[in-house]
Amino acid sequence: MTTYRPTPTDSLWTETSTSQAETEEILAKHIPSADNPAQPLHRNAHLQWLVRNLIQGFPTRYTSQDASQPWLMFWTLQSLSTLQAGLDAGNKQKAINTIMSWQHPEGGFGGGPGQAPHLLATYASVCALANVGRPGPGGGWDQIDREKMYKFFMSVKQPDGSFTVMHHGEVDVRGIYCMLVVATLLDLLTPELVEGTAAFLASCQTYEGGFSSASQPYFSSSSLLPSPRPPLGEAHGGYTFCALASWVMVRSFAPPPEGVSIDVRRLLRWLVMMQGSEQELGGFRGRTNKLVDGCYSWWVGGAFALLEMLGVPGHHAQEDDVSEGQEGAHDEWDDVDDALFNRKALQEYILYAGQHPTGGLRDKPPKVSDAYHTLSCLSGLASAQHHVTPSSTRREEITLLWETDTDSPFDEQRKSAFADALAWVEEEGASKFVGGSGNRVNATHPIFNLTMTHTDAMMGHFYRQTVPPRMVRRRP
Amino acid sequence: MALQTDTPPLLYAEDPEWADVVPVPQYENVNPLAPIFYTAEYKDATDYFRAVVKAGEMSPRVLALTEKIIKMNPAHYTAWQYRYKTLLATGASFEDELRLMDVFCIKFLKTYQVWHHRRLLVTHLVPAPPSSPLHLVQLQEELDFIARCLNVDTKNYHTWSYRQWLLAYFNADALWRGETKWVERMLAEDVRNNSAWHHRFFVVFGSGVRADEEDREGVVRREVAYTKQKLSLAPNNASAWNYLRGVLDHNRVPYSSLTSFVQPYTVPRAEDAEAEDVLDLEDPLPSKGAELPCVGAIEFLADVYEQEGSGEGVRKATELWKSLANEYDTIRKKYWEYRIREALAGQTS
Repeated sequence: MTTYRPTPTDSLWTETSTSQAETEEILAKHIPSADNPAQPLHRNAHLQWLVRNLIQGFPTRYTSQDASQPWLMFWTLQSLSTLQAGLDAGNKQKAINTIMSWQHPEGGFGGGPGQAPHLLATYASVCALANVGRPGPGGGWDQIDREKMYKFFMSVKQPDGSFTVMHHGEVDVRGIYCMLVVATLLDLLTPELVEGTAAFLASCQTYEGGFSSASQPYFSSSSLLPSPRPPLGEAHGGYTFCALASWVMVRSFAPPPEGVSIDVRRLLRWLVMMQGSEQELGGFRGRTNKLVDGCYSWWVGGAFALLEMLGVPGHHAQEDDVSEGQEGAHDEWDDVDDALFNRKALQEYILYAGQHPTGGLRDKPPKVSDAYHTLSCLSGLASAQHHVTPSSTRREEITLLWETDTDSPFDEQRKSAFADALAWVEEEGASKFVGGSGNRVNATHPIFNLTMTHTDAMMGHFYRQTVPPRMVRRRP
Repeated sequence: MALQTDTPPLLYAEDPEWADVVPVPQYENVNPLAPIFYTAEYKDATDYFRAVVKAGEMSPRVLALTEKIIKMNPAHYTAWQYRYKTLLATGASFEDELRLMDVFCIKFLKTYQVWHHRRLLVTHLVPAPPSSPLHLVQLQEELDFIARCLNVDTKNYHTWSYRQWLLAYFNADALWRGETKWVERMLAEDVRNNSAWHHRFFVVFGSGVRADEEDREGVVRREVAYTKQKLSLAPNNASAWNYLRGVLDHNRVPYSSLTSFVQPYTVPRAEDAEAEDVLDLEDPLPSKGAELPCVGAIEFLADVYEQEGSGEGVRKATELWKSLANEYDTIRKKYWEYRIREALAGQTS
């Protein structure tokens, strides 16, 4: 029996508790009951909504995202992939041509044609190309100017190991995450690129355990002091995901220097504390004492898989044969579910509160849906449904096929980044679907937020390596 | 600066002042997928902006153009970037620009760019460290401005991190001096404002040692006492528990030093609680309206027991974790069970 308890106010009302109580009241109306049956995933409504945005275009209110056109494209295409849908060849080509018009002559991608190159726009463009692009003329992949892109990356690097998001722009771990994803996918990682970055990331961890947007360096006669390096801003779900994923990527390429580390225990505690109560339908919030929001289903819900790379156990199932897709009672869940967050509740938040009745997903009711929340809710749903975990067997398979590039002075590091990134596998039998397997969405890569197939294809191409075919893994 | 001219023609395409510029459409040889439906005014302005960028023009009219675009779309980072370069190239007044930003920051509180632009301006206007009293006055005005913004939007991430940057970057005693008092007022307004708690940590522990705070043990005692007081008002406040843990961890103070404070918060209110009129300043009791037992306290006490390291300690911690898993914090059942497994594994190894 689920118990619903409003968040305690201790009879002391403040702005925080007032908005919390208002939100809980609204969410309570979305708890399934006799008059209010549990909602399935409205797949068709979402597909129609996504396709309408792609083909007909976005309404005027999206002008505020005119500098984020690559994001609108990525959110939409990746949502389609997560919903197991894709574009026809004609529209794929149209997408490729649109994306390539954002590439800047000086390297990197901008938020639209003629816009300045920006790390975030570069991630979204490249990941959109992972969805629709291909090798060869006109396919987008081989038209990415990797050399200039690398120069752009180096040109925004700062003395403390951080990066500004663009020239004259702000330092922010979102930019570092975006840069590292692209560098990892496109084989652009070098020791010089990531030098000092691990220490910068570590300095963004706050006393709460999550990560902030950036930290402030102190210098003594132009040399960086190891401390203090105070985090600017409190622990935050979006920044925490970006910092943690960056940490995992940097570490795969180059082990952090002696004395540079993050506090994984405290991070885990902070992550689990971000999950809202039953009264909040188990959605995630992005900061302590803030409201739950569908987008943190991915930023926080998705972060748990990354911890597995750092030795925090995930949901290892104990039994060999567990049937999938059953509308399970609680005990059936418990048999297979060793996740450290409440996977079932997160799925419930997304299905019951996150879906907008006319298509697309959202922050919370009664808000409207938008492209950003649609993908973050769907990716969050994916990470709550599937157990994607780094597999040493898969890693070995990949490593065995590795073809050494004698021209590369750091071939071993490239190999390590490549093998770690592709070692993630979806564990069979560990998937669980609230509302039945009809609600299944595709698993997503825990670092890149791409499907596993797109990740394999793109990395195989850019590293000139053969990626062994994926078979669904049985539990040992 | 030609910021305030007479009512300009609606469109640049009709403006004689811009007749020398050939607008550049956004998509020239591409029929885009997922286009945005712009208003005529926005499309017109950005067509001219692309032309300006292409030609590399930096002039007062470009300042007017970028201002117009930013008003329609404050997230247009290229317009901001180009505006900044134009300010530098034309030798425009950074003071005037900062006053314009006073309006923009309030109006477009949620965008990254307004705050970053402000940072660029202040960096130009004031050397670090500030070298004259006038600079300190300017920076104090900046702190006051930020405070006004935070009164409107009390948890704005950009505003808070901008304040922290300002303090750390200019790093002047005179600026740090009023900070603890100021953040105390913010916490008095809303004791659950986590941004304010974070700011307090930043000021007291994160960014070096403040003048008159060299007695670190005294500072820790002060902060622990302050947090206890705030917890007694509203025990179910995760921000305060996190701060308390942060202070103890940062200063390597064992949690067990707070056992007697925490215990009354871990149990249902005693029947005869009203009768007890003992006021313990060291360990304030939960307020009359407190809802007990409190999850943060149970978790804290379990950590105290676990840190004892003995079999008995782990047993007592496990009891508490079980009560969280099965009764008081059921959404995190899996995590509390994990803590039990980890603690037991630590015992056998």
